[in-house]
Amino acid sequence: MSGSANVGVHVDHARDEDPAKMAEFEAKINAGELLEPDDWMPQAYRQGMLKMAEHHANSEIIGALPEGEWITRAPSLRRKLALTAKVQDEVGHGQMLYRVSQDLGKSRDQMLRDLITGRTKYHNVFNYPAPTWGDIAMIQWLIDGAAIMNQKTLADGAYGPYVRTMKRINMEEAFHFKSGEDMVLTLMSGTKMQRQMGQEAFDRWWYPALMFFGPPDKPHAEQLPPMRWRMKTVTNDNLRRRFINRFAPAAIDLGLKIHVVKKDDNGMVIERKPDENLRLDETTGNWSFTQPDWDEFYRVIRGNGPCNAKRLALRRFSYEQGRWVRHAILRGNAGLPPAA
Amino acid sequence: MITLPDNLKRPFADLLLAVADDKLMLGHRNSDWTGLAPILEEDIAFSSLAQDEMAHAQALYQLIAGLIGTSADALAFGRKSEAFRCAAIVEAPDEFDWATAICRQFFCDHFDRLRLRRLARSSDKPVADLANRLAAEEQIHVEHVDSWMQRLGRGTDESRQRMQKALDRLAAIAPSLFEPIEHEHELVAADVYPRAETDMFETWRNELEQIANDSSLKLDLHPPSPQTIGGRRGKHTEHLPPLLDEMCEVYRLEPNAAW
Repeated sequence: MSGSANVGVHVDHARDEDPAKMAEFEAKINAGELLEPDDWMPQAYRQGMLKMAEHHANSEIIGALPEGEWITRAPSLRRKLALTAKVQDEVGHGQMLYRVSQDLGKSRDQMLRDLITGRTKYHNVFNYPAPTWGDIAMIQWLIDGAAIMNQKTLADGAYGPYVRTMKRINMEEAFHFKSGEDMVLTLMSGTKMQRQMGQEAFDRWWYPALMFFGPPDKPHAEQLPPMRWRMKTVTNDNLRRRFINRFAPAAIDLGLKIHVVKKDDNGMVIERKPDENLRLDETTGNWSFTQPDWDEFYRVIRGNGPCNAKRLALRRFSYEQGRWVRHAILRGNAGLPPAA
Repeated sequence: MITLPDNLKRPFADLLLAVADDKLMLGHRNSDWTGLAPILEEDIAFSSLAQDEMAHAQALYQLIAGLIGTSADALAFGRKSEAFRCAAIVEAPDEFDWATAICRQFFCDHFDRLRLRRLARSSDKPVADLANRLAAEEQIHVEHVDSWMQRLGRGTDESRQRMQKALDRLAAIAPSLFEPIEHEHELVAADVYPRAETDMFETWRNELEQIANDSSLKLDLHPPSPQTIGGRRGKHTEHLPPLLDEMCEVYRLEPNAAW
Protein backbone atom coordinates (compact mmCIF):
# COMPACT_ATOMS: atom_id res chain seq x y z
CA MET A 1 0.00 0.00 0.00
CA SER A 2 1.78 3.11 1.21
CA GLY A 3 3.07 5.84 -1.04
CA SER A 4 5.48 8.59 -0.28
CA ALA A 5 3.41 11.72 -0.47
CA ASN A 6 4.22 12.93 3.01
CA VAL A 7 7.90 12.09 3.03
CA GLY A 8 8.70 15.79 2.69
CA VAL A 9 11.80 15.56 0.51
CA HIS A 10 13.98 18.60 1.03
CA VAL A 11 16.28 19.00 -1.90
CA ASP A 12 19.12 21.51 -1.94
CA HIS A 13 19.10 21.40 -5.69
CA ALA A 14 21.82 23.43 -7.32
CA ARG A 15 24.65 23.17 -4.87
CA ASP A 16 28.15 22.49 -6.25
CA GLU A 17 26.99 20.84 -9.45
CA ASP A 18 28.51 21.27 -12.92
CA PRO A 19 26.15 23.73 -14.67
CA ALA A 20 26.50 22.03 -18.06
CA LYS A 21 25.66 18.57 -16.66
CA MET A 22 22.86 20.11 -14.64
CA ALA A 23 21.37 21.68 -17.76
CA GLU A 24 21.57 18.36 -19.61
CA PHE A 25 19.90 16.59 -16.66
CA GLU A 26 17.04 19.07 -16.48
CA ALA A 27 16.59 18.94 -20.26
CA LYS A 28 16.17 15.16 -20.01
CA ILE A 29 13.57 15.56 -17.27
CA ASN A 30 11.70 18.20 -19.24
CA ALA A 31 11.71 15.99 -22.34
CA GLY A 32 9.94 13.29 -20.29
CA GLU A 33 12.84 10.84 -20.48
CA LEU A 34 13.49 8.28 -17.76
CA LEU A 35 16.67 8.42 -15.69
CA GLU A 36 18.56 5.21 -14.97
CA PRO A 37 20.83 4.51 -11.96
CA ASP A 38 24.04 4.86 -14.00
CA ASP A 39 23.05 8.20 -15.56
CA TRP A 40 24.55 11.39 -14.22
CA MET A 41 22.27 13.09 -11.72
CA PRO A 42 22.84 15.79 -9.13
CA GLN A 43 23.79 14.43 -5.74
CA ALA A 44 20.67 16.05 -4.29
CA TYR A 45 18.48 14.13 -6.74
CA ARG A 46 20.13 10.81 -5.90
CA GLN A 47 19.76 11.50 -2.19
CA GLY A 48 16.18 12.64 -2.60
CA MET A 49 15.21 9.56 -4.62
CA LEU A 50 16.92 7.29 -2.09
CA LYS A 51 15.06 8.95 0.75
CA MET A 52 11.77 8.62 -1.10
CA ALA A 53 12.23 4.98 -2.17
CA GLU A 54 13.54 3.99 1.27
CA HIS A 55 10.63 5.70 3.01
CA HIS A 56 8.26 3.92 0.66
CA ALA A 57 9.95 0.54 1.29
CA ASN A 58 9.82 1.10 5.07
CA SER A 59 6.14 1.94 4.76
CA GLU A 60 5.42 -1.30 2.95
CA ILE A 61 6.94 -3.52 5.61
CA ILE A 62 5.53 -1.51 8.50
CA GLY A 63 2.20 -1.43 6.67
CA ALA A 64 2.21 -5.23 6.68
CA LEU A 65 1.90 -5.21 10.48
CA PRO A 66 -1.59 -3.85 11.29
CA GLU A 67 -3.22 -6.11 8.70
CA GLY A 68 -0.88 -9.02 9.45
CA GLU A 69 -2.28 -9.12 12.98
CA TRP A 70 -5.69 -10.02 11.54
CA ILE A 71 -4.66 -12.93 9.30
CA THR A 72 -5.07 -15.36 12.20
CA ARG A 73 -8.54 -13.94 12.94
CA ALA A 74 -10.01 -13.58 9.44
CA PRO A 75 -13.59 -14.89 9.56
CA SER A 76 -13.71 -17.20 6.53
CA LEU A 77 -11.29 -19.37 4.58
CA ARG A 78 -11.62 -17.08 1.57
CA ARG A 79 -10.81 -13.93 3.58
CA LYS A 80 -8.00 -15.70 5.41
CA LEU A 81 -6.36 -16.66 2.12
CA ALA A 82 -6.95 -13.26 0.55
CA LEU A 83 -5.56 -11.37 3.52
CA THR A 84 -2.45 -13.56 3.71
CA ALA A 85 -1.87 -12.97 0.00
CA LYS A 86 -2.48 -9.24 0.41
CA VAL A 87 -0.01 -8.80 3.26
CA GLN A 88 2.44 -10.98 1.31
CA ASP A 89 2.09 -8.52 -1.58
CA GLU A 90 3.00 -5.63 0.72
CA VAL A 91 6.12 -7.43 1.86
CA GLY A 92 6.90 -8.06 -1.81
CA HIS A 93 6.50 -4.35 -2.54
CA GLY A 94 8.90 -3.65 0.31
CA GLN A 95 11.39 -6.09 -1.17
CA MET A 96 11.20 -4.46 -4.63
CA LEU A 97 11.54 -0.95 -3.20
CA TYR A 98 14.50 -1.93 -1.01
CA ARG A 99 16.13 -3.23 -4.20
CA VAL A 100 15.52 0.15 -5.88
CA SER A 101 17.02 1.84 -2.82
CA GLN A 102 19.99 -0.54 -2.71
CA ASP A 103 20.84 0.50 -6.30
CA LEU A 104 20.91 4.09 -5.08
CA GLY A 105 23.71 3.21 -2.71
CA LYS A 106 22.47 2.05 0.70
CA SER A 107 22.60 -1.54 1.99
CA ARG A 108 19.40 -3.29 2.99
CA ASP A 109 20.69 -4.10 6.44
CA GLN A 110 21.54 -0.45 7.04
CA MET A 111 18.03 0.57 5.94
CA LEU A 112 16.42 -1.97 8.28
CA ARG A 113 18.62 -0.83 11.14
CA ASP A 114 17.84 2.83 10.48
CA LEU A 115 14.14 1.98 10.46
CA ILE A 116 14.11 0.18 13.80
CA THR A 117 16.27 2.81 15.49
CA GLY A 118 13.99 5.61 14.32
CA ARG A 119 16.61 7.28 12.08
CA THR A 120 14.34 6.94 9.08
CA LYS A 121 10.57 7.21 8.86
CA TYR A 122 7.66 5.32 7.37
CA HIS A 123 4.19 6.45 6.40
CA ASN A 124 2.30 8.11 9.19
CA VAL A 125 -0.94 6.30 8.41
CA PHE A 126 0.35 3.06 9.98
CA ASN A 127 0.54 4.66 13.40
CA TYR A 128 -3.22 4.32 13.82
CA PRO A 129 -4.88 1.30 15.44
CA ALA A 130 -6.88 -1.46 13.73
CA PRO A 131 -8.96 -2.82 16.62
CA THR A 132 -11.65 -4.69 14.63
CA TRP A 133 -12.18 -6.64 11.43
CA GLY A 134 -13.97 -3.55 10.14
CA ASP A 135 -10.66 -1.67 10.26
CA ILE A 136 -9.10 -4.24 7.94
CA ALA A 137 -11.92 -3.64 5.46
CA MET A 138 -11.49 0.14 5.72
CA ILE A 139 -7.70 -0.01 5.38
CA GLN A 140 -8.01 -2.03 2.19
CA TRP A 141 -10.66 0.23 0.78
CA LEU A 142 -9.67 3.74 1.88
CA ILE A 143 -5.93 3.50 2.44
CA ASP A 144 -5.18 1.23 -0.49
CA GLY A 145 -7.50 3.41 -2.55
CA ALA A 146 -5.52 6.49 -1.51
CA ALA A 147 -2.25 4.68 -2.21
CA ILE A 148 -3.34 3.81 -5.74
CA MET A 149 -4.29 7.45 -6.41
CA ASN A 150 -0.90 8.60 -5.19
CA GLN A 151 1.17 5.87 -6.79
CA LYS A 152 -0.46 6.29 -10.18
CA THR A 153 0.98 9.80 -10.22
CA LEU A 154 4.35 8.54 -8.97
CA ALA A 155 4.41 6.19 -11.95
CA ASP A 156 4.58 9.32 -14.12
CA GLY A 157 7.86 10.29 -12.47
CA ALA A 158 11.33 10.44 -14.00
CA TYR A 159 13.41 7.84 -12.14
CA GLY A 160 13.17 4.64 -14.23
CA PRO A 161 13.55 1.92 -11.57
CA TYR A 162 11.04 3.61 -9.26
CA VAL A 163 8.57 4.25 -12.08
CA ARG A 164 8.68 0.61 -13.22
CA THR A 165 8.24 -0.58 -9.64
CA MET A 166 5.22 1.72 -9.18
CA LYS A 167 3.57 0.29 -12.30
CA ARG A 168 3.94 -3.24 -11.04
CA ILE A 169 2.81 -2.33 -7.53
CA ASN A 170 -0.24 -0.50 -8.84
CA MET A 171 -1.45 -3.61 -10.65
CA GLU A 172 -1.36 -5.54 -7.39
CA GLU A 173 -2.91 -2.67 -5.43
CA ALA A 174 -5.88 -2.75 -7.76
CA PHE A 175 -6.63 -6.27 -6.46
CA HIS A 176 -6.30 -5.12 -2.87
CA PHE A 177 -8.69 -2.28 -3.51
CA LYS A 178 -11.26 -4.63 -5.08
CA SER A 179 -10.94 -6.94 -2.11
CA GLY A 180 -11.37 -4.01 0.29
CA GLU A 181 -14.40 -2.76 -1.58
CA ASP A 182 -15.93 -6.25 -1.37
CA MET A 183 -15.23 -6.44 2.38
CA VAL A 184 -16.80 -3.03 3.03
CA LEU A 185 -19.81 -3.87 0.88
CA THR A 186 -20.27 -7.19 2.72
CA LEU A 187 -20.14 -5.45 6.11
CA MET A 188 -22.44 -2.61 5.09
CA SER A 189 -25.05 -5.00 3.67
CA GLY A 190 -24.75 -7.31 6.69
CA THR A 191 -26.33 -7.43 10.13
CA LYS A 192 -26.83 -4.40 12.36
CA MET A 193 -23.71 -5.31 14.31
CA GLN A 194 -21.66 -5.59 11.11
CA ARG A 195 -22.88 -2.22 9.80
CA GLN A 196 -22.00 -0.61 13.11
CA MET A 197 -18.56 -2.22 12.97
CA GLY A 198 -18.15 -0.77 9.48
CA GLN A 199 -19.24 2.74 10.49
CA GLU A 200 -16.99 2.83 13.55
CA ALA A 201 -14.01 1.69 11.53
CA PHE A 202 -14.81 4.28 8.86
CA ASP A 203 -14.86 6.98 11.56
CA ARG A 204 -11.36 5.88 12.62
CA TRP A 205 -9.93 5.81 9.08
CA TRP A 206 -11.54 8.70 7.20
CA TYR A 207 -9.21 11.37 8.55
CA PRO A 208 -6.03 9.28 8.40
CA ALA A 209 -6.98 8.68 4.74
CA LEU A 210 -7.28 12.44 4.12
CA MET A 211 -3.95 12.99 5.84
CA PHE A 212 -2.42 10.21 3.75
CA PHE A 213 -1.50 12.69 1.01
CA GLY A 214 0.63 14.80 3.32
CA PRO A 215 0.27 18.32 4.72
CA PRO A 216 -1.24 21.24 2.77
CA ASP A 217 0.89 22.40 -0.15
CA LYS A 218 3.75 24.83 0.30
CA PRO A 219 3.48 27.96 -1.87
CA HIS A 220 4.69 27.35 -5.44
CA ALA A 221 4.95 23.59 -4.83
CA GLU A 222 5.15 23.01 -8.57
CA GLN A 223 8.40 24.94 -8.87
CA LEU A 224 10.22 23.21 -6.00
CA PRO A 225 12.68 20.45 -6.94
CA PRO A 226 10.55 17.39 -6.01
CA MET A 227 8.02 18.38 -8.66
CA ARG A 228 10.36 20.19 -11.04
CA TRP A 229 12.44 17.02 -11.23
CA ARG A 230 9.33 14.82 -11.46
CA MET A 231 10.02 12.93 -8.24
CA LYS A 232 6.39 13.85 -7.55
CA THR A 233 3.95 14.88 -10.27
CA VAL A 234 0.83 16.09 -8.43
CA THR A 235 0.61 18.24 -5.27
CA ASN A 236 -0.73 16.92 -1.97
CA ASP A 237 -3.85 19.11 -2.04
CA ASN A 238 -4.72 18.08 -5.58
CA LEU A 239 -4.43 14.42 -4.68
CA ARG A 240 -6.56 14.98 -1.58
CA ARG A 241 -9.26 16.65 -3.69
CA ARG A 242 -9.30 13.75 -6.15
CA PHE A 243 -9.65 11.35 -3.23
CA ILE A 244 -12.58 13.17 -1.64
CA ASN A 245 -14.36 13.51 -4.96
CA ARG A 246 -14.13 9.78 -5.48
CA PHE A 247 -14.66 8.45 -1.95
CA ALA A 248 -17.14 10.83 -0.29
CA PRO A 249 -19.98 9.91 -2.68
CA ALA A 250 -18.96 6.22 -2.63
CA ALA A 251 -19.10 6.16 1.19
CA ILE A 252 -22.52 7.83 1.19
CA ASP A 253 -23.77 5.28 -1.37
CA LEU A 254 -22.69 2.47 0.94
CA GLY A 255 -24.70 3.94 3.80
CA LEU A 256 -21.69 5.33 5.65
CA LYS A 257 -21.90 8.68 7.41
CA ILE A 258 -18.96 11.08 7.20
CA HIS A 259 -18.14 12.42 10.65
CA VAL A 260 -15.75 14.95 12.09
CA VAL A 261 -14.22 13.09 15.02
CA LYS A 262 -12.26 13.64 18.17
CA LYS A 263 -9.95 10.84 19.26
CA ASP A 264 -8.23 9.84 22.48
CA ASP A 265 -4.50 9.09 22.76
CA ASN A 266 -5.11 5.51 21.63
CA GLY A 267 -6.66 6.67 18.37
CA MET A 268 -10.17 5.67 19.45
CA VAL A 269 -13.07 7.98 18.61
CA ILE A 270 -14.55 9.72 21.66
CA GLU A 271 -16.74 12.28 19.91
CA ARG A 272 -18.26 12.45 16.47
CA LYS A 273 -20.63 14.75 14.61
CA PRO A 274 -21.66 14.98 10.95
CA ASP A 275 -19.23 16.99 8.78
CA GLU A 276 -21.35 20.08 8.14
CA ASN A 277 -18.92 21.36 5.52
CA LEU A 278 -19.35 18.28 3.40
CA ARG A 279 -21.12 19.17 0.18
CA LEU A 280 -20.76 18.88 -3.55
CA ASP A 281 -20.21 22.09 -5.51
CA GLU A 282 -22.23 21.34 -8.65
CA THR A 283 -20.37 23.89 -10.74
CA THR A 284 -16.81 22.67 -10.02
CA GLY A 285 -17.66 19.04 -9.28
CA ASN A 286 -15.54 19.31 -6.14
CA TRP A 287 -16.58 18.29 -2.63
CA SER A 288 -15.84 20.64 0.22
CA PHE A 289 -14.96 19.13 3.60
CA THR A 290 -13.60 19.87 7.06
CA GLN A 291 -9.81 19.82 7.00
CA PRO A 292 -7.95 17.23 9.09
CA ASP A 293 -6.43 18.27 12.40
CA TRP A 294 -2.93 19.12 11.15
CA ASP A 295 -1.59 19.48 14.70
CA GLU A 296 -2.44 15.82 15.17
CA PHE A 297 -0.65 15.00 11.92
CA TYR A 298 2.59 16.60 13.11
CA ARG A 299 2.23 15.08 16.56
CA VAL A 300 1.97 11.59 15.07
CA ILE A 301 4.79 12.17 12.57
CA ARG A 302 7.08 13.21 15.43
CA GLY A 303 6.54 9.78 16.97
CA ASN A 304 3.67 10.46 19.36
CA GLY A 305 0.84 8.67 17.57
CA PRO A 306 -1.28 5.87 19.03
CA CYS A 307 0.80 3.01 17.57
CA ASN A 308 4.28 4.39 16.72
CA ALA A 309 5.98 2.54 19.57
CA LYS A 310 4.07 -0.68 18.98
CA ARG A 311 4.85 -0.85 15.25
CA LEU A 312 8.54 -0.14 15.69
CA ALA A 313 8.82 -2.60 18.57
CA LEU A 314 7.37 -5.40 16.44
CA ARG A 315 9.66 -4.54 13.53
CA ARG A 316 12.62 -4.55 15.90
CA PHE A 317 11.51 -7.88 17.39
CA SER A 318 11.39 -9.41 13.92
CA TYR A 319 14.84 -8.02 13.07
CA GLU A 320 16.38 -9.33 16.27
CA GLN A 321 14.66 -12.73 16.14
CA GLY A 322 15.91 -13.24 12.59
CA ARG A 323 19.48 -12.13 13.09
CA TRP A 324 20.91 -15.63 13.66
CA VAL A 325 19.17 -16.83 10.50
CA ARG A 326 20.64 -14.06 8.34
CA HIS A 327 24.01 -14.66 9.92
CA ALA A 328 23.86 -18.36 9.06
CA ILE A 329 22.77 -17.69 5.49
CA LEU A 330 25.38 -15.04 4.77
CA ARG A 331 28.35 -16.59 6.57
CA GLY A 332 27.53 -20.31 6.67
CA ASN A 333 29.15 -22.99 4.54
CA ALA A 334 25.90 -24.57 3.39
CA GLY A 335 26.24 -23.94 -0.31
CA LEU A 336 23.41 -24.90 -2.60
CA PRO A 337 21.30 -27.91 -1.66
CA PRO A 338 21.86 -31.00 -3.81
CA ALA A 339 19.48 -31.50 -6.71
CA ALA A 340 16.32 -33.38 -5.77
CA MET B 1 -18.88 -40.49 -3.07
CA ILE B 2 -22.02 -42.32 -4.22
CA THR B 3 -20.22 -45.67 -4.25
CA LEU B 4 -19.02 -45.33 -0.66
CA PRO B 5 -20.88 -47.73 1.70
CA ASP B 6 -22.68 -45.92 4.53
CA ASN B 7 -20.55 -47.49 7.25
CA LEU B 8 -17.42 -45.98 5.68
CA LYS B 9 -18.72 -42.43 5.36
CA ARG B 10 -17.89 -41.33 8.88
CA PRO B 11 -14.42 -42.92 8.92
CA PHE B 12 -13.71 -41.44 5.50
CA ALA B 13 -14.82 -37.99 6.65
CA ASP B 14 -12.58 -38.41 9.70
CA LEU B 15 -9.62 -39.36 7.55
CA LEU B 16 -10.09 -36.36 5.28
CA LEU B 17 -10.62 -34.14 8.31
CA ALA B 18 -7.29 -35.34 9.70
CA VAL B 19 -5.59 -34.23 6.46
CA ALA B 20 -7.49 -30.94 6.24
CA ASP B 21 -7.19 -30.06 9.95
CA ASP B 22 -3.42 -30.71 9.89
CA LYS B 23 -3.14 -28.39 6.91
CA LEU B 24 -5.36 -25.66 8.31
CA MET B 25 -3.47 -25.51 11.61
CA LEU B 26 -0.07 -25.63 9.95
CA GLY B 27 -1.08 -22.95 7.45
CA HIS B 28 -2.58 -20.86 10.22
CA ARG B 29 0.61 -21.06 12.30
CA ASN B 30 2.76 -20.28 9.25
CA SER B 31 0.58 -17.36 8.15
CA ASP B 32 1.43 -15.67 11.45
CA TRP B 33 4.97 -15.20 10.07
CA THR B 34 3.72 -13.12 7.12
CA GLY B 35 5.44 -9.77 7.53
CA LEU B 36 7.79 -11.00 10.28
CA ALA B 37 10.08 -13.67 8.76
CA PRO B 38 13.87 -13.28 9.04
CA ILE B 39 14.45 -12.33 5.38
CA LEU B 40 12.04 -10.52 3.07
CA GLU B 41 12.46 -13.06 0.26
CA GLU B 42 11.67 -15.93 2.64
CA ASP B 43 8.78 -13.98 4.13
CA ILE B 44 7.19 -14.10 0.70
CA ALA B 45 8.01 -17.79 0.17
CA PHE B 46 6.81 -18.90 3.61
CA SER B 47 3.59 -16.98 3.12
CA SER B 48 3.05 -18.93 -0.10
CA LEU B 49 3.52 -22.17 1.81
CA ALA B 50 0.94 -20.98 4.33
CA GLN B 51 -1.50 -20.12 1.56
CA ASP B 52 -0.97 -23.53 -0.08
CA GLU B 53 -1.71 -25.35 3.17
CA MET B 54 -4.83 -23.32 3.89
CA ALA B 55 -6.05 -23.66 0.31
CA HIS B 56 -5.49 -27.43 0.48
CA ALA B 57 -7.54 -27.48 3.66
CA GLN B 58 -10.28 -25.49 1.94
CA ALA B 59 -10.44 -27.90 -1.02
CA LEU B 60 -10.62 -30.89 1.33
CA TYR B 61 -13.27 -29.28 3.54
CA GLN B 62 -15.38 -28.73 0.43
CA LEU B 63 -15.24 -32.46 -0.32
CA ILE B 64 -16.03 -33.37 3.29
CA ALA B 65 -18.87 -30.84 3.40
CA GLY B 66 -20.42 -32.66 0.43
CA LEU B 67 -20.01 -35.96 2.23
CA ILE B 68 -21.59 -35.01 5.57
CA GLY B 69 -23.75 -32.02 4.59
CA THR B 70 -22.22 -28.79 5.87
CA SER B 71 -19.99 -26.00 4.53
CA ALA B 72 -16.22 -25.61 4.38
CA ASP B 73 -16.31 -22.51 6.60
CA ALA B 74 -18.51 -24.22 9.18
CA LEU B 75 -15.95 -27.05 9.31
CA ALA B 76 -13.04 -24.66 9.70
CA PHE B 77 -14.60 -22.15 12.10
CA GLY B 78 -17.72 -23.75 13.57
CA ARG B 79 -16.45 -26.90 15.32
CA LYS B 80 -15.49 -27.42 18.95
CA SER B 81 -11.93 -28.54 19.60
CA GLU B 82 -12.84 -32.19 20.20
CA ALA B 83 -14.31 -32.41 16.69
CA PHE B 84 -10.93 -31.60 15.12
CA ARG B 85 -8.70 -34.45 13.97
CA CYS B 86 -5.32 -32.70 13.76
CA ALA B 87 -2.11 -34.06 15.28
CA ALA B 88 -0.25 -32.55 18.25
CA ILE B 89 2.67 -31.26 16.16
CA VAL B 90 0.57 -28.80 14.11
CA GLU B 91 -0.97 -27.43 17.29
CA ALA B 92 2.43 -26.57 18.79
CA PRO B 93 3.14 -22.84 18.77
CA ASP B 94 6.54 -21.71 17.52
CA GLU B 95 6.88 -18.54 19.64
CA PHE B 96 8.38 -16.86 16.56
CA ASP B 97 11.38 -19.14 16.68
CA TRP B 98 12.38 -19.76 13.07
CA ALA B 99 14.11 -23.07 13.90
CA THR B 100 10.85 -24.41 15.36
CA ALA B 101 8.82 -23.17 12.40
CA ILE B 102 11.20 -24.83 9.92
CA CYS B 103 11.48 -28.13 11.82
CA ARG B 104 7.69 -28.34 12.24
CA GLN B 105 7.33 -27.84 8.50
CA PHE B 106 10.02 -30.47 7.89
CA PHE B 107 8.19 -33.22 9.81
CA CYS B 108 4.79 -32.28 8.41
CA ASP B 109 5.69 -31.78 4.75
CA HIS B 110 7.46 -35.12 4.44
CA PHE B 111 4.55 -36.84 6.14
CA ASP B 112 1.98 -35.04 4.01
CA ARG B 113 3.70 -35.97 0.78
CA LEU B 114 3.51 -39.66 1.74
CA ARG B 115 -0.09 -39.41 2.92
CA LEU B 116 -1.21 -37.60 -0.22
CA ARG B 117 0.53 -40.14 -2.45
CA ARG B 118 -1.48 -42.83 -0.70
CA LEU B 119 -4.71 -40.92 -1.11
CA ALA B 120 -3.87 -40.34 -4.77
CA ARG B 121 -4.41 -44.10 -5.23
CA SER B 122 -7.79 -44.03 -3.45
CA SER B 123 -10.74 -45.86 -4.98
CA ASP B 124 -12.66 -42.60 -4.42
CA LYS B 125 -11.90 -40.68 -7.59
CA PRO B 126 -12.59 -37.08 -6.49
CA VAL B 127 -10.30 -37.56 -3.50
CA ALA B 128 -7.66 -39.32 -5.60
CA ASP B 129 -7.68 -36.50 -8.16
CA LEU B 130 -7.41 -33.82 -5.50
CA ALA B 131 -4.67 -35.66 -3.59
CA ASN B 132 -2.71 -36.04 -6.80
CA ARG B 133 -2.82 -32.31 -7.40
CA LEU B 134 -1.94 -31.42 -3.81
CA ALA B 135 0.94 -33.90 -3.72
CA ALA B 136 2.62 -31.98 -6.56
CA GLU B 137 2.54 -28.78 -4.47
CA GLU B 138 3.69 -30.66 -1.38
CA GLN B 139 6.75 -31.75 -3.35
CA ILE B 140 7.77 -28.10 -3.68
CA HIS B 141 7.29 -27.59 0.06
CA VAL B 142 9.52 -30.58 0.80
CA GLU B 143 12.30 -29.26 -1.43
CA HIS B 144 12.04 -25.81 0.11
CA VAL B 145 12.12 -26.97 3.72
CA ASP B 146 14.91 -29.50 3.07
CA SER B 147 17.10 -26.69 1.73
CA TRP B 148 16.44 -24.70 4.92
CA MET B 149 17.40 -27.70 7.07
CA GLN B 150 20.70 -27.87 5.22
CA ARG B 151 21.41 -24.16 5.25
CA LEU B 152 20.75 -23.77 8.95
CA GLY B 153 22.13 -27.16 10.03
CA ARG B 154 25.36 -26.42 8.20
CA GLY B 155 25.31 -22.65 8.75
CA THR B 156 26.94 -21.47 11.96
CA ASP B 157 27.45 -23.14 15.34
CA GLU B 158 24.56 -21.11 16.68
CA SER B 159 22.19 -22.04 13.87
CA ARG B 160 23.07 -25.74 14.17
CA GLN B 161 22.47 -25.69 17.92
CA ARG B 162 19.15 -23.92 17.53
CA MET B 163 18.04 -26.35 14.85
CA GLN B 164 19.10 -29.37 16.90
CA LYS B 165 17.15 -28.11 19.89
CA ALA B 166 13.99 -27.54 17.85
CA LEU B 167 14.39 -30.88 16.08
CA ASP B 168 14.73 -32.75 19.40
CA ARG B 169 11.75 -31.01 20.92
CA LEU B 170 9.47 -31.68 17.94
CA ALA B 171 10.75 -35.23 17.30
CA ALA B 172 9.01 -36.20 20.54
CA ILE B 173 5.59 -35.19 19.21
CA ALA B 174 6.02 -35.57 15.42
CA PRO B 175 5.08 -39.29 15.36
CA SER B 176 1.62 -38.19 16.54
CA LEU B 177 1.01 -37.63 12.83
CA PHE B 178 0.81 -41.44 12.46
CA GLU B 179 -1.97 -42.06 14.97
CA PRO B 180 -4.71 -43.84 13.02
CA ILE B 181 -8.22 -42.48 12.91
CA GLU B 182 -11.07 -44.64 14.22
CA HIS B 183 -11.90 -47.55 11.86
CA GLU B 184 -8.94 -46.71 9.63
CA HIS B 185 -8.35 -50.42 8.92
CA GLU B 186 -11.80 -50.60 7.28
CA LEU B 187 -10.88 -47.78 4.89
CA VAL B 188 -7.64 -49.58 4.10
CA ALA B 189 -9.43 -52.87 3.49
CA ALA B 190 -11.88 -51.16 1.12
CA ASP B 191 -8.97 -49.50 -0.73
CA VAL B 192 -10.42 -46.06 -0.01
CA TYR B 193 -7.17 -45.40 1.85
CA PRO B 194 -4.89 -47.88 0.09
CA ARG B 195 -2.13 -49.59 2.01
CA ALA B 196 1.22 -47.82 1.68
CA GLU B 197 3.62 -49.59 -0.69
CA THR B 198 6.27 -49.65 2.01
CA ASP B 199 5.81 -49.09 5.73
CA MET B 200 4.91 -45.43 5.91
CA PHE B 201 6.58 -44.69 9.23
CA GLU B 202 9.85 -46.35 8.13
CA THR B 203 9.83 -44.45 4.83
CA TRP B 204 9.23 -41.18 6.65
CA ARG B 205 11.92 -41.87 9.23
CA ASN B 206 14.46 -42.79 6.53
CA GLU B 207 13.72 -39.66 4.49
CA LEU B 208 14.03 -37.39 7.50
CA GLU B 209 17.14 -39.05 8.88
CA GLN B 210 18.91 -38.74 5.57
CA ILE B 211 18.18 -35.00 5.31
CA ALA B 212 19.11 -34.51 8.96
CA ASN B 213 22.44 -36.31 8.40
CA ASP B 214 23.13 -34.16 5.32
CA SER B 215 22.42 -31.15 7.52
CA SER B 216 24.85 -32.09 10.32
CA LEU B 217 21.86 -32.74 12.61
CA LYS B 218 20.92 -35.80 14.67
CA LEU B 219 17.44 -37.23 14.57
CA ASP B 220 15.99 -40.06 16.59
CA LEU B 221 12.37 -41.02 15.86
CA HIS B 222 10.25 -43.70 17.51
CA PRO B 223 6.93 -45.07 16.29
CA PRO B 224 3.94 -43.85 18.28
CA SER B 225 2.63 -46.25 20.88
CA PRO B 226 -0.55 -47.91 19.58
CA GLN B 227 -2.16 -47.29 22.99
CA THR B 228 -1.84 -43.52 22.82
CA ILE B 229 -5.05 -41.69 22.04
CA GLY B 230 -4.53 -38.20 20.69
CA GLY B 231 -5.60 -35.66 18.11
CA ARG B 232 -6.90 -38.13 15.54
CA ARG B 233 -9.57 -39.14 18.10
CA GLY B 234 -10.26 -35.59 19.24
CA LYS B 235 -7.96 -35.54 22.28
CA HIS B 236 -5.88 -32.42 21.78
CA THR B 237 -2.99 -30.58 23.41
CA GLU B 238 -3.61 -27.48 25.52
CA HIS B 239 -2.53 -25.39 22.54
CA LEU B 240 -5.58 -26.05 20.37
CA PRO B 241 -8.35 -24.24 22.30
CA PRO B 242 -6.54 -20.85 22.39
CA LEU B 243 -5.63 -21.26 18.72
CA LEU B 244 -9.32 -21.82 17.90
CA ASP B 245 -10.40 -18.91 20.09
CA GLU B 246 -8.15 -16.61 18.08
CA MET B 247 -9.00 -18.11 14.69
CA CYS B 248 -12.75 -17.97 15.30
CA GLU B 249 -12.87 -14.62 17.14
CA VAL B 250 -14.60 -12.70 14.35
CA TYR B 251 -16.57 -15.63 12.92
CA ARG B 252 -18.19 -16.27 16.31
CA LEU B 253 -19.47 -12.69 16.54
CA GLU B 254 -22.11 -13.58 13.93
CA PRO B 255 -21.72 -17.23 12.88
CA ASN B 256 -24.58 -17.05 10.40
CA ALA B 257 -23.55 -13.80 8.76
CA ALA B 258 -21.59 -13.41 5.55
CA TRP B 259 -18.19 -11.91 6.19
